[in-house]
Amino acid sequence: MKKSIPEKQLFNSIKERDLLGHIVKTSVRYKIWIAILLLFIVFGMYGYYRQIRYGLIVTAMRDYTSWGIYISNFVFFVAVSLVGSLFSSILKLNKNEWAKPLIRISEIIAVAAIICAAVIIIIDMGRPDRFIYVFKFGRIQSPIIWDVIIISTYLVISFILLYISLLPDIAICRDRLTAIPKWKKKLYKIAAINWSNQPEQVIILKKIGRILGITVLPVAFAIHTVTSWLFATTWRPGWDSTNLGPYFVSGAFMVGAAVIIFAMYFVRKYLNLKSYITTTHFDHMGKLLVLLSLVYFYFNINEYLGPAFKMVGVEGEHITELFVGKYAPMYWLVQIFGLVLPIVFLLFKNLRKPVPIVIISSFVILGAWFKRFLIVIPSLQHPYLPIQGVDESYLHYVPTWEEWAITMASFASLLLIITILIKLFPVIPIQELESPAEETSIESKKFKNEIS
Amino acid sequence: MKYLKYLFIRVLKIFTLVVFVFMSTAQIHAQDNVKEDALISLNFTENNNIKTIKATVTNQIGEPVEELDLYFFVKRTFSLLPIGDVFNTTDENGVVEVEFPEDLPASDTEGNVVILVKILESDLYNDLTVETTKKWGVPIPDKEYYQQNERSLWAAAANAPMSLIVSISIMILSVWYVIFYILYKLYKISKIKPYKL
Amino acid sequence: MENKNSNASSRRNFIKKIASGSLITVSGLTIYSVSSCEKSTEGEKATLLTPDGKLVQVLKSEIESFEQLPASPKESRKGIPGKKFVMVVDLAKCKNARKCVKHCDKHHNLTPDRPYIKVLEMKDNEKSAPYWMPKKCFQCDNPPCVKVCPVGATFKRTDGIVLIDNERCIGCRFCMAACPYSARIFNWATPPNVDENLSYSPETSIPSKIGTVGKCDFCPDMIRKDKLPHCITACPNGVLYFGDEIDDTVTNGEETLRLSTLLREKAGYRYLEELGTKPRVYYLPPVDRLFPFNKENAKKGAS
Repeated sequence: MKKSIPEKQLFNSIKERDLLGHIVKTSVRYKIWIAILLLFIVFGMYGYYRQIRYGLIVTAMRDYTSWGIYISNFVFFVAVSLVGSLFSSILKLNKNEWAKPLIRISEIIAVAAIICAAVIIIIDMGRPDRFIYVFKFGRIQSPIIWDVIIISTYLVISFILLYISLLPDIAICRDRLTAIPKWKKKLYKIAAINWSNQPEQVIILKKIGRILGITVLPVAFAIHTVTSWLFATTWRPGWDSTNLGPYFVSGAFMVGAAVIIFAMYFVRKYLNLKSYITTTHFDHMGKLLVLLSLVYFYFNINEYLGPAFKMVGVEGEHITELFVGKYAPMYWLVQIFGLVLPIVFLLFKNLRKPVPIVIISSFVILGAWFKRFLIVIPSLQHPYLPIQGVDESYLHYVPTWEEWAITMASFASLLLIITILIKLFPVIPIQELESPAEETSIESKKFKNEIS
Repeated sequence: MKYLKYLFIRVLKIFTLVVFVFMSTAQIHAQDNVKEDALISLNFTENNNIKTIKATVTNQIGEPVEELDLYFFVKRTFSLLPIGDVFNTTDENGVVEVEFPEDLPASDTEGNVVILVKILESDLYNDLTVETTKKWGVPIPDKEYYQQNERSLWAAAANAPMSLIVSISIMILSVWYVIFYILYKLYKISKIKPYKL
Repeated sequence: MENKNSNASSRRNFIKKIASGSLITVSGLTIYSVSSCEKSTEGEKATLLTPDGKLVQVLKSEIESFEQLPASPKESRKGIPGKKFVMVVDLAKCKNARKCVKHCDKHHNLTPDRPYIKVLEMKDNEKSAPYWMPKKCFQCDNPPCVKVCPVGATFKRTDGIVLIDNERCIGCRFCMAACPYSARIFNWATPPNVDENLSYSPETSIPSKIGTVGKCDFCPDMIRKDKLPHCITACPNGVLYFGDEIDDTVTNGEETLRLSTLLREKAGYRYLEELGTKPRVYYLPPVDRLFPFNKENAKKGAS
């Protein structure tokens, strides 16, 4: 970005100006935002430097609570990454036309989240220098290896998913954007791979889009189910459950929908996309969130009713700890503010308006993060044999500043990747490949609804 | 008083010294001179699956030794396993019989066991160990028994269960086939030239 | 062959040594110590079991020269041929003397807050009496920790022992989460007082490495020398028995018993049998106790 922008950008249409404008113009706000994110990342890197230097002793994890917020954060990111499949597969295959402007955002979030998840799991390792051993000595029997396989597969798929939906728009960027630095021009030229809206090209692209939309679905279900098996294949109370797979997947879809609402609110606000992401979208997303939360609620009941009814040994201790013990405040805050109340509130049309729904969504997201804390940590504190004769610090788990710094940095990285992808590419699809006439009519109908 | 006490202690010291010197010489004397060597001859019989070890103890001039405790052992990995009764005392003929347990595993695949008969801590006879190898044990399984060839979840990577390998391979191959197919199609897209130019 | 002497003969040596010792101290005169019955080992032969299950006679001096280096990581994966090691813990005899913990810590360079062996105060229900339960790795035959290891850093050997290769371990701690008996510890920081000159072997577990997992290993380095693990010989009350399942024999260093007889007569059980992990450590129930349950022992032992 050494050279100043050579010429003034001209756009062919209002739509192009709206959707491509932010790529050309770099605001001060954007720079400050990036700087803040980088600050968090640098701070987290300092925390990680300390962890590398002194070992995992800098964390609050000890022999009993041997997994901490790194793992719960990993589960959270894997959950978030499922949104990509929710939109580009489920809603697309169901022909939910209203969801179209949200597909790109969801795919960007999916890519960012799965990258962060992969990094977080390496940060949790005691010997990251031996990461290569996972491939060199990998045992197919280990659920971790299954997770490595499925995460790398999903990473590639979500990249391709994002890429093929972007391809026609990248070509537009290549053809129309003149007032951009040379490296960007080069990037668009390479990334557009000779796309020129040829009918043959359109046919192939539509075909592979369909194939991928179907393929991503089992892979997405698998990624979170396999992640749940990291827990379900052990005897820990709260993990030793056949319900864990669907419980995790449904929870992931719920938090995914909340993350989309959160993201679209800010994208709409800061990129001035009010006529593309409408209040109707928020209304629809609100309804979708209620539906997904109800499914998650159902699996929650399944997860806790059986053990709470039987109160078997350590399983009973674990349930007691969650319901009335040390973790009860967090547990009930999460379940009520992160699950029950959002369902109730979102039943009201007025609360599905942009501002209230984004507040509700942030509660859902926070609840989802702490829910994963509650899934990972209390389980480890109730082994079959009593915890005795160990240091006092082994009995509790309060994350250290290094752990928080690294976790915050992971969030900052997530936002940074999302921000950069949004800055580089149009966040709302410009070029519609399917029957353009029909498309515009629907779109215009939507605008009419909003006006009336 | 003080002198008396000193004297008393002095006397006590000398007395103890004398007693201990006496005791120790007595002990050394008993060990070196009084004890004699005994001979143990072993006879192994097997009748109706009952295996019996018959030990006959004689002294240097061939007379049977009566009322002597013998200890019977089988050699094991870390120690000697006692067999027979708690006390196995010789009778007037110097004979004691001990039944060998029929279900005792051997030390090797051929059924060999090392049997030891010992005289221990006798007042009259020196310690003695007689060692014999007999094919009386239940042969231990041969080395194939220990080899971990079976496929299992806890086996090494090379011995993963076949069903797991097959199902995971099918899943990986089918998904990655689609991925490569799509990459190939993207390559095809890049090769389509625009008409206009 | 000294370690193979019967219990009776070692007791005799002990008495002799006491007698000679008191002679010297009380009289203040060095008459001469009564020579023990230990013979010079030169030229003496040892009976060894070869990998194909045959007994051979080898010069003892040859074995000793062979013993010097611990087994290499590759060799450590194989296991000692023809053996299946087991441990029996007699809960009726344990009074929490903590000698096993102390010796284990010393030989594996462990800090007291993270021992391999834990002596737990157990109380099965309100009415039943409390008892001490020494707990180490159960060396399961269906080991959950080995199943989940992504890189095969922890493995099951042919002799039943589950070991960890600290040079392979990536520190994911999945095995710790998977072990229902909390047998594993983690080197969260660089282990203190590491002797860098020692060559690492999974069989000795030292020097242990930062960011990797450790646990009780049944001391295979000792077993290879036909010696009992440190905890067994350290226990003053004969609580811990060790042996070979194939031999059907266990010993606590003092008495040697048939494993099958011991388990049958004293109703031996394995902890949490219902999990299906098939532990190689058996417990004998805490009945007819030798010592009253006394918490004071723990404090004395810890100091």
